[in-house]
Amino acid sequence: MTTTKTATAPPSPGTRSPRRTQGGEAALAWAFLTPSIVVFALFLAYPLGRTVYLSMHGNDIIGRPNRFVGLSHFAEMASPEFVKVLTTTLLFTIGTVVPGVVGALAIVLLLEGVIRGQRFLRGAFALPFAFSVASASVIFVVFYSPGNSVLNGVLYRLGLDQVPWLTSQDMALWSVCITTVWMNLGYGVLVLAAGIGSIPKEINEAARIDGATGVRLARDVTVPMLGPQLFFLIVISTINALQSFGQIHILTRGGPSGSTTTLVYSIFEDAFAYSTSDFGRASAQALVLLLVVLVCTAVQFGVIERKVHYA
Amino acid sequence: MTLSPRPRTLRAAALITGLGLALSACSGGGDGGDSTLTAPGPEVLEGLDEAVQVEFWHSMDATNGQVLDGLIEDFNAQNEGRIEVTGSFQGDYDTALANHRAAIQQGDTAELIMIFDLGTQFMIDSGQTVPAQSFVDADGYDTGSIEGALLNYFTVDGELRSFPFNNSTPLMYINRDAFEEAGLDPDSPPTDLAEIREAAEELTVRDDDGTVVQYGFGAATYGWFVEQFMARAGVPYCDNANGRSGRATEVLFDDPKVVETVEWWEEMIDDELAVQIGRNTDDAQAAFTSGRAAMTLESTGSLGGFIERSDFEVGAGYFPLVGEGDPGGSIIGGASLWINGEGHSEQEVRASWEFVQYLLTPESQSIWHAGTGYLSVNTEGYDGPEAQERAEEFPQFSVAAAQLADSEINENTAGCMMGVMSEARATAEEGWETALTSDTPAADAMSDAADRLDTPIEEYNASVEE
Repeated sequence: MTTTKTATAPPSPGTRSPRRTQGGEAALAWAFLTPSIVVFALFLAYPLGRTVYLSMHGNDIIGRPNRFVGLSHFAEMASPEFVKVLTTTLLFTIGTVVPGVVGALAIVLLLEGVIRGQRFLRGAFALPFAFSVASASVIFVVFYSPGNSVLNGVLYRLGLDQVPWLTSQDMALWSVCITTVWMNLGYGVLVLAAGIGSIPKEINEAARIDGATGVRLARDVTVPMLGPQLFFLIVISTINALQSFGQIHILTRGGPSGSTTTLVYSIFEDAFAYSTSDFGRASAQALVLLLVVLVCTAVQFGVIERKVHYA
Repeated sequence: MTLSPRPRTLRAAALITGLGLALSACSGGGDGGDSTLTAPGPEVLEGLDEAVQVEFWHSMDATNGQVLDGLIEDFNAQNEGRIEVTGSFQGDYDTALANHRAAIQQGDTAELIMIFDLGTQFMIDSGQTVPAQSFVDADGYDTGSIEGALLNYFTVDGELRSFPFNNSTPLMYINRDAFEEAGLDPDSPPTDLAEIREAAEELTVRDDDGTVVQYGFGAATYGWFVEQFMARAGVPYCDNANGRSGRATEVLFDDPKVVETVEWWEEMIDDELAVQIGRNTDDAQAAFTSGRAAMTLESTGSLGGFIERSDFEVGAGYFPLVGEGDPGGSIIGGASLWINGEGHSEQEVRASWEFVQYLLTPESQSIWHAGTGYLSVNTEGYDGPEAQERAEEFPQFSVAAAQLADSEINENTAGCMMGVMSEARATAEEGWETALTSDTPAADAMSDAADRLDTPIEEYNASVEE
């Protein structure tokens, strides 16, 4: 979550004390830092080290590491199955981040035109954020349920073709994406609405005096001014997408035929799903996931953040 | 990500457990050591200062959990001051097994645990429990009235390993009203795949635009059904006589009989005679009770719910044969009870066994069967007042028992004994699903799936033979 601060709060220069740090102060600083270092070591460094350890070991049937296997769990990943998992993860990430961010932006921009009831509508659009993953997914189970789908019922009354929401390999991933976008939209609306409220009125007024209205105003003034919030949203949504689990587990359990098995779901399957307790393979994949998240975030900071304008 | 505690915590836990055991051994007064791997006699429960505590881990919630709690309460009342059983719900079967694994790692298992059928080989290999056979032998316990098909499943290498308790078998359910409307006889439901197709052609109803409003058939692509179809066809699920004459080294669910079933399933969906459900059995249940699908496949345990939730008359028939003339065996599902010996005193082991005996009495089984819809493990339980009342009200309840009674008892109907059975079931589902949702032919999809299990099976076998 450190990304939050970097992305939203502009660095404030000149706050460093000119006084030279004395020995006593340094000791005091360390004393204050100790609790957080301990917590960090206990809940971050130790599990990470343990994951690395487990990833290089095989398990006995109880799940205890019992033999060193070196990097063979990583070597096994050079398989078409794992490539499919990565592709699914990529498609899922794109399929949730892009519509999620664009959708939230569209809603917020459109709501700018609404004078009466804007607060109410913003609240209403932000509401899905209050749903837990489990309850949101259960609602969509009813919508998608094969044979009794609410959505298909609506399509049927409209005289349209039925959609195999969760039972087709081509459709299932997008159905899970729709659920995820619906869940995340509220958060996006909240963040962007807060951002749009903080754009100084003078800028808008100046643009209007220059004759900018509607699309032009949105494209050239509002969106660039929302840069920090949009960037924050993209980074957070990407990490969220890469870590999504609940909706996949409840809606499809990774199926049909592995078409919705993302990296996180694959880790779950190896470690817990079929009482296999293959913590070695799962840990190796977890490290790959860590790497993917790191690379994505680094790329986003390297590429997108350069274009972000901090007011 | 990591579940195992830090080594130091583990050492501390081991120390505390060790101290606890030492203390309990002293206060127990008997010679109860840290582990009891053979059945102790009834005398160990004589002259107790306080009731022996038995923790019972199970996976029964909702209605089933309440019926079980009722039985536990009744047992505790009968054994006041002697044995006290505490039921503890551990989540679904997979979760309960995962919890048990963690408990083994920490040396802190419950006295009595309920483990699903697919975990049987693991339970044997982990070597924590007292084999059920040793209780039967020590006490001269009569298993004559226990359902034969259940003893068949849980007997490995000629020894009964655990006690069947909450077990079921899948059936075919029909919408009797729809059968009558279609001019079919609901009293003689289809018996094989070809007959289901014929009936489905009559049962499928379309609106004016040609959109199907009622499908003839709809069931989940549930891996258990693959096991059942193979038992019906009299073919083994894995090699070495279903893993019973030696460790299984490969699965055989790419058998022509299974391929035939999957192809039939595919055609039913393509011809819009069956609704495509997916793996979720809840969806299949909903499709049936809402009248979208006129025939479905489900466990006996679903009968009560079906009758309650549907506004038509529910009929039940035997699970279909793949083809006419198949031997028609039947396999069971559900869970059995295991008594942990490793790390438990003789008193605890004996107390658990007394509780299990209580659960297996005809009286308890009558209550259990009537309250949950599970089979009566003790066949005499069907004569109990609760079971009788239920059978009068819903004669469909007798179908499951009849299907099992009609089943031959041999290795093919015993079910596959294999360490990675849970994964095998899921992989079979995947192969089946691949055939249904892609252009891959059924034969290739099933044999690819079967091949994918070679490594896990090999790894499992290697890890227990070391």
